[in-house]
Amino acid sequence: MELNLDAFERFAVHFNKGNIIFCEYEPGDAFYLIQGGRVQISKIMGDIEKTIDILHPGEIFGEMAILEEAPRSANAICLDPVKALEFNRANFEILMRGNPQIALKLLKLFTKRIYDQRRRFMILTLEDTHAKVADVFLMLDESQSGAKPEGAERVFHTTPGDIGHWAGISPELSRDVLTQFQTQRRIEIYTDRIVVKNINEFARFVNSRRKKRDDT
Amino acid sequence: MPKAMTYKANSVIYFQGDVSDRIYILKAGRVSLNSNDIETGEAVRDSIQTGEFFGVKSALGKYPREENAVALSDSHVVVFSVPEFEQLALSNTRIVMKMLNVFSNQLRRLHAKVRGLLAEGEQVNPELGLYRIGEYYMKKKEYDKALYAFQKYLTYYPGGAYHQDANRLAQQAEQYVSKYGIGQGPGLGNAGSGAQQAAGGVSGGTGAVGDAGVTGGNPAGAGERNAQLGPVAKQYYAAVSSFSQGNYTEAMKQFKTIVDKSEDREYVVKSMFEIGRCLYSLGRYDDCIRHFTALVQRYPKMPDLDEALFYLGQSYEENGDQERAGGFYKKILSRSGVSEPLKRKVNNALRGLEGT
Repeated sequence: MELNLDAFERFAVHFNKGNIIFCEYEPGDAFYLIQGGRVQISKIMGDIEKTIDILHPGEIFGEMAILEEAPRSANAICLDPVKALEFNRANFEILMRGNPQIALKLLKLFTKRIYDQRRRFMILTLEDTHAKVADVFLMLDESQSGAKPEGAERVFHTTPGDIGHWAGISPELSRDVLTQFQTQRRIEIYTDRIVVKNINEFARFVNSRRKKRDDT
Repeated sequence: MPKAMTYKANSVIYFQGDVSDRIYILKAGRVSLNSNDIETGEAVRDSIQTGEFFGVKSALGKYPREENAVALSDSHVVVFSVPEFEQLALSNTRIVMKMLNVFSNQLRRLHAKVRGLLAEGEQVNPELGLYRIGEYYMKKKEYDKALYAFQKYLTYYPGGAYHQDANRLAQQAEQYVSKYGIGQGPGLGNAGSGAQQAAGGVSGGTGAVGDAGVTGGNPAGAGERNAQLGPVAKQYYAAVSSFSQGNYTEAMKQFKTIVDKSEDREYVVKSMFEIGRCLYSLGRYDDCIRHFTALVQRYPKMPDLDEALFYLGQSYEENGDQERAGGFYKKILSRSGVSEPLKRKVNNALRGLEGT
């Protein structure tokens, strides 16, 4: 990492493997920059704990706390012994003045979060439930980095519950809609993945449902 | 090198949907960013001020432009590539700080909008949410994590609806982790310890959570609390108990001990807040004002800030300084996220001031 962080050693915090750094719903007033070890970001949904992300040294998490002292939206748990810099609004200014690289990093992270939230919002504003579900696949396709596969078939390692979460509908309703798509041979559902036969066709479908809004 | 460019009136600087790594700063002229509101579809026009950047988000985030940028009059701009912009930002922190502010406001608004659209079922009140996290880990026999969640619950909601259950389960979690180890033992289902009878209604499944332990003011509470948690938490709750019995002098002494030992910052701040309450309850309004003023300056982000401001207002009012009292009351009302009960208290106090 190119950052010079020696001056911030006094903001360093250490956690043991398995420790919770913060848990969902806890009021948050600090965010973290990982310096060593991995941090698992997870959410408890019903009876299972779902891993949303695994973060590595150099990555920032909990950054929403710098915006508002809203409850945390996920758990942060140490997969290894973790060393991290802990920032809050009080030391934020010092941090930024001394090390604008971190500020820039945070700025980039915010651009990504804004994009993701806007994208999520666009899904939720669709009125048609089928269009919502189709749009979730489009969003997932857009966020898959790297070269796009040839052809229009796409494989997503996801579940009906996850799709429902993004579409803002219940897992049951999500399963119903997906089953209908399967009957129409537009998708195939497996235990560990969902195959969309023609992503472009989904794009046309979603656009046709969204157009009406724009034209009014 | 950043390039100076000129755009004629009514020309387009970039189109919605374009992907580009250019970032602009307006030097002279008038530029408008035109888009459609993602919620209502209504046309939105944001005019750019001289000296302001635009096109930053989409360039830094490498995603398509979200608006058309149009020159309304002949306009001079300076164009940066992303690396050039980064160079500038690194040597001028103020720019980044300002942008962080703008972006964070946008993000906050977006979050609120998304929350507003999500199905009701997705929204959980944070107090219950936190308690359920503890329950979940208890069930999974991850007692250390359960203990963490319950302790946080007790920290943030010491008089909360589930505090008795949280107390009892925190105690169990602590016992189980040393007795059985993580992943072993009875979990949440079979609570064999004697602590169970104190609060009643163990939520064997998730179903019982909603109405468990909402009794409030159970006299068994204080004694029960002392049996678990860390030593600092124990002292803290003992002091809270003295306070609730009206022994303000004793409570203040106990809170001071916690502050002097200075072992756990969380409890230190909480105890300092409570010392202020003791001073108020003892009628030492001048001391109370001095205490809370210093506290608020030292910990402007403390969790009980609104309450602290209220005690300041009350103390000034007791001292006959209605102007200052009113000032504090109004300040509380101008803040966001003030709890409803406190708002009511403040409004009552303000009405009281007007009546005299």
